Amino acid sequence: MIIDSSTMESEDEESLLGQESEDENSELSDSELQEAFAKGWLKPGMNVLVDKTKKHVNNVEGLKQCLAGFRKDLPWAERLDMTNLPAEDVIYKAEGKKPAVKIGDVNPDDDFQREMFFYRQAQATVLDALPLLSKHGIPTKRPDDYFAEMAKSDQQMQKIRKKLISKHLILEKSEKAKKLREQRKFGKKVQVEVIQKRHKEKRDMMTSVKKFQKGMTDKLDFLDGDQKKPREPSQAQNKVAKDNKKGPNAKRKYKDQRFGFGGKKKGKKWNTKESHNDVSGFRAKVANAKGAKKGAKGGKQNKRPGKSVRKKTKSRS
Amino acid sequence: MSAFKRKRGGQAPGNKKAKKAKFVADTSEAPKENEQEKTHEITVPAPVSQGKWKNKERVLIFSSRGINYRTRHMMQDLRTMMPHSKADTKMDRKDKLFVVNEVCEIKNCNKCIFFEAKKKQDLYMWVANSPHGPSAKFLVQNIHTLAELKMTGNCLKGSRPLLSFDPKFDSEPHFAVLKELFTQTFSTPRYHPKSQPFVDHVFTFTINDDRIWFRNYQIMEEDAALVEIGPRFVLNLIKVFQGSFGGPTLFENPNFTSPNMHRRQIRLAAAARVREKQMVKELQKLKRAGTKEDVTIDVTADVFLTPADETPVLIQTEAPEPKVVKKNKHKAFKRQRMARK
Repeated sequence: MIIDSSTMESEDEESLLGQESEDENSELSDSELQEAFAKGWLKPGMNVLVDKTKKHVNNVEGLKQCLAGFRKDLPWAERLDMTNLPAEDVIYKAEGKKPAVKIGDVNPDDDFQREMFFYRQAQATVLDALPLLSKHGIPTKRPDDYFAEMAKSDQQMQKIRKKLISKHLILEKSEKAKKLREQRKFGKKVQVEVIQKRHKEKRDMMTSVKKFQKGMTDKLDFLDGDQKKPREPSQAQNKVAKDNKKGPNAKRKYKDQRFGFGGKKKGKKWNTKESHNDVSGFRAKVANAKGAKKGAKGGKQNKRPGKSVRKKTKSRS
Repeated sequence: MSAFKRKRGGQAPGNKKAKKAKFVADTSEAPKENEQEKTHEITVPAPVSQGKWKNKERVLIFSSRGINYRTRHMMQDLRTMMPHSKADTKMDRKDKLFVVNEVCEIKNCNKCIFFEAKKKQDLYMWVANSPHGPSAKFLVQNIHTLAELKMTGNCLKGSRPLLSFDPKFDSEPHFAVLKELFTQTFSTPRYHPKSQPFVDHVFTFTINDDRIWFRNYQIMEEDAALVEIGPRFVLNLIKVFQGSFGGPTLFENPNFTSPNMHRRQIRLAAAARVREKQMVKELQKLKRAGTKEDVTIDVTADVFLTPADETPVLIQTEAPEPKVVKKNKHKAFKRQRMARK
C-alpha cells in the first residue's frame, strides 16, 4: 500500500490534518494513521491510495548467465537450426505490389497473410539449409524403394486424398451446373428468336399468297424465296406505275394490314342479339354426353360407396 | 519393442528392433534394402543410423490429469514427431510441480515437456531442462493435430527436423534463452537409434503478436515447395524460471493476461454494457415522468368569458295564465260545410 499525497489549493489546507475521513478507505484505522503521521509519512494534502505499478521481472543479467550456463555448443549438423526472415514473396513481386511487411509484424488476424509469412520463413530456411546439408552429407531425398514407417498411416493419407478429391468434384459439379444454366438461358433465347423468325416468314408468305389470290400482285416472286430481282430494265415503267398507286395505296395498304383478308378482326366477339341467336357453335353430342370418358381409368378409383354400403362396412369393422 | 540395456559408449544396435524383420542388418549396410523387399513381404526396416549417437538428449512428454482429447492427440503427435521422446503416465494433480524433476530423473531424461490442463479449458505447457536448467511456462492456444484432414503433408516417422526461427528470437535475451531451449528440445540427435537419416520436414517458430507460433511443414521438392503436416499451436509465454519447474523468475511477460482474467474482462464488459443501457433507459423514464404536470386548472378557461349586464332575477310565484286557443277544433270539414251549404 502506498499513500500518495498531492498538493491542494490554499483554501483546503485548513481542513486537512493528514487524517482521512471515515467514508474513505476504512482499512486504515485512526491509530495507524496517527502513527504514520507521527513518523512523518503522511504529509498535509489529500492522501489517496494508489495501486503500486506491477513490476514485471526482466532479469537480463540472470537470463544471460543462464543461457551461458546451459547452452551446448553442438555442431550445426546436430542441431540443424536456422534463423532467417521469410523468403521473397513471388506473387507480390509478380503483381508489382510492395511486400506488405518488411520487418514489422504481420497482422495476426489476417489468416492468409500470417500463414504465408510462416510458409515463406520455412521456405527461406529450406533454401538456405539444403546446400549446408549436402555439405555435411545429410541426405534429404528418400530413394524410391526405401520403405519406412510414416508419421501418418496410409489410412489417414487415403482419407485426406478422398477429401481432396471430393472437394474437387463438388467444385467441378457446381461449375458444370453454372455452365448448363447459362447455356440453357442462351439456348432459350436463340430458340425463341428462331421461332419468331419462322412465324414471320410464314406470315409474309401467307400475305403474299393472299395478295396474289386477291389479284393485287400478279407476280409469283414470293415462291422463289428470298431472291432479290434486279429492277434496272423495267425501272422506268415500274416507277410510273408506282407513282400512280403510291398515294391511295399507302392507305389501302395500312387498312389491309389491319383489317385485310377476312374482314374486321377486332370487333368479333360482341354479345348482340345476332351473336346470342347464333347457335352454330352448338354440338349436341358434346353437350349431351354426360361425362362419357369417366370410366376410362376404372370404376372404383374415385367412387365413394353409397350410404347403405358404408353403414354395413362400418358396423362390421 | 523389447527393452534392452543400452551399452555406454553409444553403439547403435537399433537394427534388432525391426518389425517383422527376418534378418539382422549390420550398421554398415546402406539404408536401401531392395533385395529383401522383393523376396519377402514388405517389411518395415528399422531406422538405420550410420554413426555413433553422441548427443544424449531425451525428452519426457507427459501431462497432468484432466486434459481433453485434442491435447492428448497433440501430445501423441509430438511423441511421433520426436523419436527422442519418452512417454509417461499422467501425473496426479495433488503432487507439486517439482515432483516432475524426479520423474525425469527416473526416466533418465534431461528435457521435459509437461502439459497441464486447468478447469478443463486452459492448457499450459512447461518446457524445461530437467536437473538445473531454465524452464518456461506457456499458455497453449489454437491446437490443430496431425489427424486433421486439411494437413495434407506426411513425413517419415522419426526423421530429423530442420528448425527455423524468426530473427526476433535474437533481439531479446529471454527469447534467446527460449531459442536455445527449443533447439535442444525439438532437434533430434544425429544417429539416434530411432531416427531416420533423412531430413524431410521443418519446424517453424515465429514470433507474432507477442506469441510464438509453431508450424510443421514437409519438404516436397528441392525448390522448397512445402506442405503442412501438423500439429500446430500457439504459445503465449508466461514466465521463464531459472530452475526446472521452480526457482527464481527470470522473466515475466507483461502482456500476458491469464485466461481467467480474460474471461472476467469479457464478462465485465458485457455487464457494463447492460448496466449502461439500463441507466439510459431509467434516465429516459425519469425525463418523461418529470415533465408531466397535473393540469387541474385550465389557464385558458376564462378567455371567452365576456362580462354581461346583470339582469334582475324575476321569480314567478303565480302560475302563468293559459293561452287563448284561437283554433276552432269543433269545426266541420270543408266538404261537409260545402255540403251543408
